[in-house]
Amino acid sequence: MQEQTENKTAPAEEQKPVKKSPSFWVETWQRFKGRKMAMMALIYIGFLCFVAIFAPAIAGTKPVICKYKGHIYFPAMGYFRRQWENPIFFTDHFRNRYPENLKQKDPDSWAIWPLVYQDPYRRVYDDEWKGLPGNPTQDNGAPSLRNWFGTDQRGVDVFAQMVHGTTIALLVGFVSMGIAGVIGILIGALAGFYGKWIDMGLSRLIEVVMCIPTLILILAIIAIIESPTIWHMMAIIGLTGWTGIARLARAEFMRLRESDFVLAAKTTGVGQFRIIFRYILPNSLAPVLVPITFGIAAAILIESGLSFLGFGAPPPNPSWGTLLNLGRQNLQMWWLIFFPGMAIFLAVLAYNLIGEGLQEASDPRLRDA
Amino acid sequence: MHQYPRFNLFFLSLFLMFALTGCPGPATEEAEDTEKESETKEVLLEPFDAPKLADLDAQVEWEEQPVLDSLELLRERQSHEKPLVSVDEALKLKNTNQEINEKILSALGRLPQNDEEVDWGATINRHVGADLKSTNPIMGSSAVEFEVGSLTGFGLFSFDWNFKPFAVSDTVVSWQSSKDKLYDKVVLRDDLTWSDGVPITAHDIVFTFKTIMNPEVPVPAVRSGTDQIRWIQAYDDQTLVFFHKESLPTNVWNLNFPIIPKHIYEKELKSDPTLQDSPYHVKFENDPVTGGPYEIEKRERGQEILLKRRESWYMQDGKQVRTKPYFERVRLRIIEDPNTALLALKNGKIDEMALNPELWKTQTEDDDFYKTCTKANGLEWVYFYFGWNCETLFFKDKEVRQAMSYAFNHKEMLDELCYGLYQPCTGIYHETAWMSPKPMSKPYTQNLSKAEKLLDDAGWIDHDGDGIRDKEFDGKIIPFRFSIMTSSQPLSLSICTLLKENLAQIGIICEVKPTEFTVMQDKARNHQFQAMFGGWGTGTDPDTSINLWKTEAARNYVNYSNPEVDKLFEEGRREFDIDKRAKIYGKIHELLYDDQPYTWLYFRNSFYGFNKDLRGYVFSPRGPYGYGPGFSSLWKPVEN
Repeated sequence: MQEQTENKTAPAEEQKPVKKSPSFWVETWQRFKGRKMAMMALIYIGFLCFVAIFAPAIAGTKPVICKYKGHIYFPAMGYFRRQWENPIFFTDHFRNRYPENLKQKDPDSWAIWPLVYQDPYRRVYDDEWKGLPGNPTQDNGAPSLRNWFGTDQRGVDVFAQMVHGTTIALLVGFVSMGIAGVIGILIGALAGFYGKWIDMGLSRLIEVVMCIPTLILILAIIAIIESPTIWHMMAIIGLTGWTGIARLARAEFMRLRESDFVLAAKTTGVGQFRIIFRYILPNSLAPVLVPITFGIAAAILIESGLSFLGFGAPPPNPSWGTLLNLGRQNLQMWWLIFFPGMAIFLAVLAYNLIGEGLQEASDPRLRDA
Repeated sequence: MHQYPRFNLFFLSLFLMFALTGCPGPATEEAEDTEKESETKEVLLEPFDAPKLADLDAQVEWEEQPVLDSLELLRERQSHEKPLVSVDEALKLKNTNQEINEKILSALGRLPQNDEEVDWGATINRHVGADLKSTNPIMGSSAVEFEVGSLTGFGLFSFDWNFKPFAVSDTVVSWQSSKDKLYDKVVLRDDLTWSDGVPITAHDIVFTFKTIMNPEVPVPAVRSGTDQIRWIQAYDDQTLVFFHKESLPTNVWNLNFPIIPKHIYEKELKSDPTLQDSPYHVKFENDPVTGGPYEIEKRERGQEILLKRRESWYMQDGKQVRTKPYFERVRLRIIEDPNTALLALKNGKIDEMALNPELWKTQTEDDDFYKTCTKANGLEWVYFYFGWNCETLFFKDKEVRQAMSYAFNHKEMLDELCYGLYQPCTGIYHETAWMSPKPMSKPYTQNLSKAEKLLDDAGWIDHDGDGIRDKEFDGKIIPFRFSIMTSSQPLSLSICTLLKENLAQIGIICEVKPTEFTVMQDKARNHQFQAMFGGWGTGTDPDTSINLWKTEAARNYVNYSNPEVDKLFEEGRREFDIDKRAKIYGKIHELLYDDQPYTWLYFRNSFYGFNKDLRGYVFSPRGPYGYGPGFSSLWKPVEN
């Protein structure tokens, strides 16, 4: 094992606090790298992140960069936040139709366009882009050169929707499991470290939360909230999905609190919180990361499922599940089911592969296997 | 034959959630004016000293009114209409244009030539989109309940496809109205019985009237209209006189309401006025005593409602006294999802269903569909709209509402989202209706520049330079950001999303808010919304629209108020001359068109898929069922 050389590549924050066993993460990473499927999955998720971040540059109807009346603007940023699209385009009556208006209102203007001129929220109309006809609507939108993944009933490009929907899919996973991870580790740590009645109380709390059916809770909350957004969903998935993490963290803490290095720390008078967070936590992270990864996959499925049922974020939200829902209305439009279905499948599969890879790579018993 | 008792009164119905799936849209709530409601909360019906019949006869000049059999009426009409093609040819046709549609309807939408053609033991499986809440007809509030009520209940009155009212010869011997329309005298037939064998008498009708008007009974919908009747007096078991509050041409529409058996309900009315909670009422809720041509045989909640032809309806003492209904059994299958329902239609599990534009255009064109089914369409006066709450800061100006109508891309909606199947709607009355204005108002077309100008003039300008229009109210800058409430049906969502897209082009933020049906109704009634997408069915008389437009009327969800419209509605209901009435309602139509409290979008025609075994469907402006004879003209031929 080339532990020395690999030290540099290991993530810094994981390395510093755990001075005593710097090689653990490195070893894990080494073994993880050796698993082809897991690596491919990781690369795929990296690719999805890239797509999510650069979505407006991949598919959109607003220029990525343009020069207009002597200034440089980035109208595509409007896809992230409406305010980031410079109001000058509103004042000048662009009406969200850039190609024609840029030319007309400033002949000297230039623009760099997204790779695909298609909008995730609306149909592209006749003569909007280089005099081409608009997107086909109804059930005529089979995949074509202009609409790679076809169009839905409204004539909105499926590819553009999927590209922009990547953000939601990834965010749902990261945010909800981020919340779940923080709560789960905290509660598991407290329960495992202190034991006795604290453990009793927190374990019962875990059991109570485990009994809450996430899907039904989300449906109930959506009915109550004035205007439910995707963030509410993420919060609920996170607030109910931490129990598995908490249980694992608790077990790890129980095991580690008896170990020698903790005893040593205690005898040298290190504070309790320091022991919990700087001594035990880094050592217990590996098993906890596994349910988090699986949780991300589950969260993506829940979001897609909710959107599929029509309880997702309010329209027009370019979510993969919403596309599936559109496809359900007309089974002949296979492209509405195939592409988003594949995207969901691949994303969930990738997370599961990563989780599995992580599990096996971090399991010391499999070290020599 | 069974009639559509409730539909006379059951005027403008809310088509929000279910409408577009072909599921039952109509669902009504209390429709009395709010003012009246608060005044008469405790006592809905003051005691009344009815004059003696002899005195009344001496005083009133009676005019004979029609007592008809709706099936005979239809047969008479069809005897003048020649089928354009033969039945076999019609069954081979594919309904791709209106000409073919006419042919199909002319051949298949006919009554049987003679009784031998009819399969009297047939069962029809009908599609409904939701389950029944109550089997008690006066508790009805949604389309399924009225549908079941029309089959199991009996009524005194009906109206034909031209909305001409008549008394039903199955139940009525004679009907007379006073010249000033203040009184109606009806003589019932003496061979009517409830399903438990007890005779139906005039006292049942009086009892029902008093029950409906009893403030302790939670009647959800049928009180509207009925509350316009001052009193009903039974002079003997057969003779009834209706006393109206005022001399109005629209009084005739108030005469009909579902009837419940007195001998069943009077026993526990006092101890349990809900008619639903006590064990006694639960028993009759599950096994109701009915007076119509069908009775409930079986009911599986959420699955189906099975009705059986009632022999004591058409047979009395071994003699046939009324027309025998064509079907032995009527099964109402409850299927919520339209795609599932379509599969059921193709498999023959159901015999008919309403189709939405997408199903009509894309999934009922192939041979697979035409193997067992055919389809037909007809005009229907059901319109859909964006309603702007006129009390919000955004929509109180007429200019802003007009700007909304100009901003919306009507063409895209009609041609692409509605598959080119619906006609544009320009106002509250359909252009083929007698009360529509001449010339008819023109449909709005998208004109963003005009919309922008109207908004600028109304003061909605982007003052703070954030790309969103705003206006100052009491020193506060309010951005033009509102939400539109809609059902989560795909078509409703698409249309609202199109509005959002169009408004974003001119600097207005519109959030689409899919809302559950009951929540939406509740919010609409309490005016807790900024804009909404909804639909209304048509009433039988233009006066029914008063409920939507009169200041503070119960269904004036958008808080519209125009004293001139109020005045015209009052005039219209007091005018007996039909031409003058048409002018008045035409004027109302024009005033509303100018004010644009709604952006009228489209008329939803009726589109239906039928099993090839089914015959006798005839469309009216209220669809194929909501009139007389309606459903009762349907039949199945014997197999050769």
